[in-house]
Amino acid sequence: MATTTTQPAARAVGLRKVYGTGDASVEALRGISLDLVAGEWTAIMGPSGSGKSTLLHVLAGLDTPTEGKVFIGDVDLTSLSDKQLTQLRRDRVGFVFQAFNLIPTLTARENITLPLDIAGRDVDQSWFDTVVKTVGLSDRLHHRPAELSGGQQQRVAGARALVSRPEIIFADEPTGNLDSKSGAELLDFLRSAVDDHGQTIVMVTHDAHAAAHADRVVFLADGNCVHEMRSPTADAILDQIKSLEA
Amino acid sequence: MLRATLKSLFARKLRLILTALAVVLGVGMTAGSFILTDTALKSFDNLFGDVYKGTDVVVQGTTAFDPSGQNNTGGGSERQPIPASVLPKVQAVDGVATAVGSIGGTAWIVDPSTNKVIQNGGAPPLGGSWDTGLTSLEIETGGAPPTGPDQVVIDAATAAGHRISVGQQIKVVTTTGPGEFTVTGVARFGSSDSLLGATLALFDLPTAQKLFDREGEYDTIYVKADQGVEPAQLAAGVASVLPKGYESITAATAASQQQDQVSQGLGFLRTFFLIFGFVALFVGAFIIFNMFNIVVSQRTRELALFRAIGASRRQVRTSVLLESIAVGLIGSILGIGLGVLLAFALKALLGALGLKLPPTALAIEPRTIVVSLIVGIGVTVAAAWVPSRRASRVAPIEALRESSTPDSSIRRRAIIGGIVLALGIAAISAALFGGAANPGALVGLGAALTFLGVATLSPLFARGLAAVIGRPFRRTATGRLGDENAKRSPRRTASTASALMIGLGLVAFVSVFAASLKASAVKTLDEVLRADLTLSSNQFNPFSTHLAEQLRQDQNFSVVSELRQTEAHVGPSNTDAFPVALDPATFAQVADITMTSGSLADLSQPGAVLVSKSKADSAGLSVGSPLDMTFSATGAQPLHVVGIFEDNVILSDYVISIATYNANVEQPLDQNVFLKYAPGASPTDAKAQLDAMLQKDYPNVQANDAAASKQQFLDSINQLLAFVFVLLFLSIIISGFGILATLWLSVFERVRELGLLRAVGMARKQVKRMVRIEAVIVAVLGAILGLVIGIVFAWALQRSLSNLGITELSLPVGQLVILLILAALIGVGAAILPARRAAKLNVLEAISYE
Repeated sequence: MATTTTQPAARAVGLRKVYGTGDASVEALRGISLDLVAGEWTAIMGPSGSGKSTLLHVLAGLDTPTEGKVFIGDVDLTSLSDKQLTQLRRDRVGFVFQAFNLIPTLTARENITLPLDIAGRDVDQSWFDTVVKTVGLSDRLHHRPAELSGGQQQRVAGARALVSRPEIIFADEPTGNLDSKSGAELLDFLRSAVDDHGQTIVMVTHDAHAAAHADRVVFLADGNCVHEMRSPTADAILDQIKSLEA
Repeated sequence: MLRATLKSLFARKLRLILTALAVVLGVGMTAGSFILTDTALKSFDNLFGDVYKGTDVVVQGTTAFDPSGQNNTGGGSERQPIPASVLPKVQAVDGVATAVGSIGGTAWIVDPSTNKVIQNGGAPPLGGSWDTGLTSLEIETGGAPPTGPDQVVIDAATAAGHRISVGQQIKVVTTTGPGEFTVTGVARFGSSDSLLGATLALFDLPTAQKLFDREGEYDTIYVKADQGVEPAQLAAGVASVLPKGYESITAATAASQQQDQVSQGLGFLRTFFLIFGFVALFVGAFIIFNMFNIVVSQRTRELALFRAIGASRRQVRTSVLLESIAVGLIGSILGIGLGVLLAFALKALLGALGLKLPPTALAIEPRTIVVSLIVGIGVTVAAAWVPSRRASRVAPIEALRESSTPDSSIRRRAIIGGIVLALGIAAISAALFGGAANPGALVGLGAALTFLGVATLSPLFARGLAAVIGRPFRRTATGRLGDENAKRSPRRTASTASALMIGLGLVAFVSVFAASLKASAVKTLDEVLRADLTLSSNQFNPFSTHLAEQLRQDQNFSVVSELRQTEAHVGPSNTDAFPVALDPATFAQVADITMTSGSLADLSQPGAVLVSKSKADSAGLSVGSPLDMTFSATGAQPLHVVGIFEDNVILSDYVISIATYNANVEQPLDQNVFLKYAPGASPTDAKAQLDAMLQKDYPNVQANDAAASKQQFLDSINQLLAFVFVLLFLSIIISGFGILATLWLSVFERVRELGLLRAVGMARKQVKRMVRIEAVIVAVLGAILGLVIGIVFAWALQRSLSNLGITELSLPVGQLVILLILAALIGVGAAILPARRAAKLNVLEAISYE
């Protein structure tokens, strides 16, 4: 699965998103164009209200743009019906949210295979084992979420995102609810998914240390892409944020 | 605090409505029962007012029964006819303006187009004399009163309903047999065109006397007073000229006596309907309990916040109870409105069964409204009691925590549930086997406690049972999720299922018991009945004894044995009973009665009576025991027991001879006639000839062979069964609402989860399916619990009645399977709205919900 091409896994072209109408309308995205390179981990940063979450939702097919186009691979999401979007999320996209990532009634194993089960697809057992080993959850598979720590829960969510071999994983503040040790574990896991398996990841975060794990950081402000950084370090990111706020 | 309560209440209108719905149907049924019977009572009141219009004093034979009918379930009491010689004496009394002799009896009008007897269900076919000068009836224009032996006046409802017009020739069958008459007029009672669906055929006095076997006699003398004479005074004056055994009462007294009898009958009907109302309320209570529990859990943070800012436990508790009062009030008000509609529906239902109530304006008494409000609010508050206590136990710290209040301990639940269940079983056992004083109420209490006990215990095994029911669904991810959702809160699932358990449990109970009754009856009919043909009238009304006399001359039949029935008060406590009368010599040839002591033949001795084994056991009677029987017309008669027989469906508890019956009953009528073909007669021809004769002369009577007799019996049970099912259906609807409401709240609780499922690719269709599967599992769980309880109840009742001839326990497997399927369908139906709601959720809102 390790591909090193620079062909974009997803693409945003002139994205605008307006909430509400008339005087009450808010423009969350003001014409963003962005290529997300396959096999790369992109972090999206920005102050609250910069539109980073909206961008992630629109890219992932959870929300529709007011204007512009979104592609996952060659597919234009804006031309898809609700049903087709659901299928696309199920088969080609993985998700890790900040919290409430797991279904409380299902075991860790069942949570991991949930997208495959919903699709009625078979689980590739060797891939499943590889993923589980990478997350370090082999001995917790039959536990329910309530019996897992916050870090373990997020790693289960990560495993779920990975197990269906999606073209792209969207992570929304995945470390937001974790202590620094658990957070670091999760980030290491995501890093290895990119390095060892060529996974494409897009992550929204406001944590510079988390963003420093990525290959590339995109900075957003007032609905626009304002800066981009490759091979980031936490310090460089913090400096950039300061300069944006200034 | 009050304002906060009301605000939170109205902020969640839908929840409020769903919770209130749980009481609406129960209160509706309660209010409907009252409205229906009050309305009927009022119309009877008007009717009796009309009947006695123009009459001041009534002269009649005395009755040995309490005239107000306190102890007679059989309706009207029979009285001695008055010798014609009494009339001139009454007419001569000072203050009498007019006095007329009157005849009353049974007369079947035959529909000229179908040649079938006109019968409005259970309403009696009345016949009698046209009381010239004192009748309360009015003849419609274009008609005239009957004069001469071949004229008749009929009631307007019958005339209109069967297109009979003045001048037409019709057939009327009376006590003495059939006859052809010309309709000279159509009569109505003031505003009403019939007496509660009863048909009416009136003849002139001499004709009526002849037709009803009353030559030289009257049944009643109606008296009108001179201007200014007080009826009470006149009644006393008339009484002084009457021979012993006759009484004179004012028309007002006569009307109120009849009214008392009617109101007793209606009271019975009201109780019957109220039972179903209470069942519905009981089911509703489970749903309210559940809703409040869920709401308290969901509002834990809000309640804790109240506590944190200084509200006392009591205030929190009061706020929940206030909410329940509001829900109960709204539910009760809507319920009373629904009750008006249900009163119409019940009236139509009774009409379908043949019990037609006269049309009048609906009577909504203040009592109806007060009782409905008390019951509706009371049930709601009682059901919210435990949840309100739970709410008051929410600690302030929970405002900051992400946990809900812990459930009460399993052990405590097991102990409480076990005790309630044991009490329920004890009450039922005492009622069925212990000879308790008021078994009906005790069985009701026991059943309620049993349901409550099982409901309390059910969370203990709901998980396991749901796992079994859910197994077939677990093959798919949606099925597994639905199954897991059904199991995640055993308490919630169990109490939702319990609501359905009650309704389906009662349906299962009735089905199993009815099936057992049928099986036992068919078995005894097979064992007992030896007749080739059984004659009976439709609706089990008795018919003229002239038919049997005529058949005795028929060469086709070697045995003709009559069975008659009357009402009597029996024994030292004057228990109301319906002894049957038969001729022992012929009856032995048409039925195989098993005697445990004494002999059937001894019934031919004067004053002899046979007693069923169950009655003999319970009353401590044996051969030789004296047994007094009081008949309406003749009073107490000293009889003695000559034999004890095994109970069976043909006979009742007491059997007397035809001779004893004739000596004590004024208008003898046959209930059944049993026939055996003569040796050498062709059964086919004999039956055909008999059918032709019956069709021509006695259209109200039909001849059934053994198979048809059985079928007739089964049909009558099935009709009653259908009626009870319709009424129980209300409770099942309520429990369907309960599933709907619980799922609805659960969907709200799981918004985040549903959002996640949709985000990772679950299609809307799959979400719907998941909710539907949860509903089906809950419903089937309730159905299984209900079926088990229903079968156990039926088994207990069957055991307790086995000495009354209900010896078989029969499981109608097909019907029970249909009930399970019905339950699953109820689940599917209840899931429609919650599933749609769940599928409609906006993914984005769901995952960013806070």
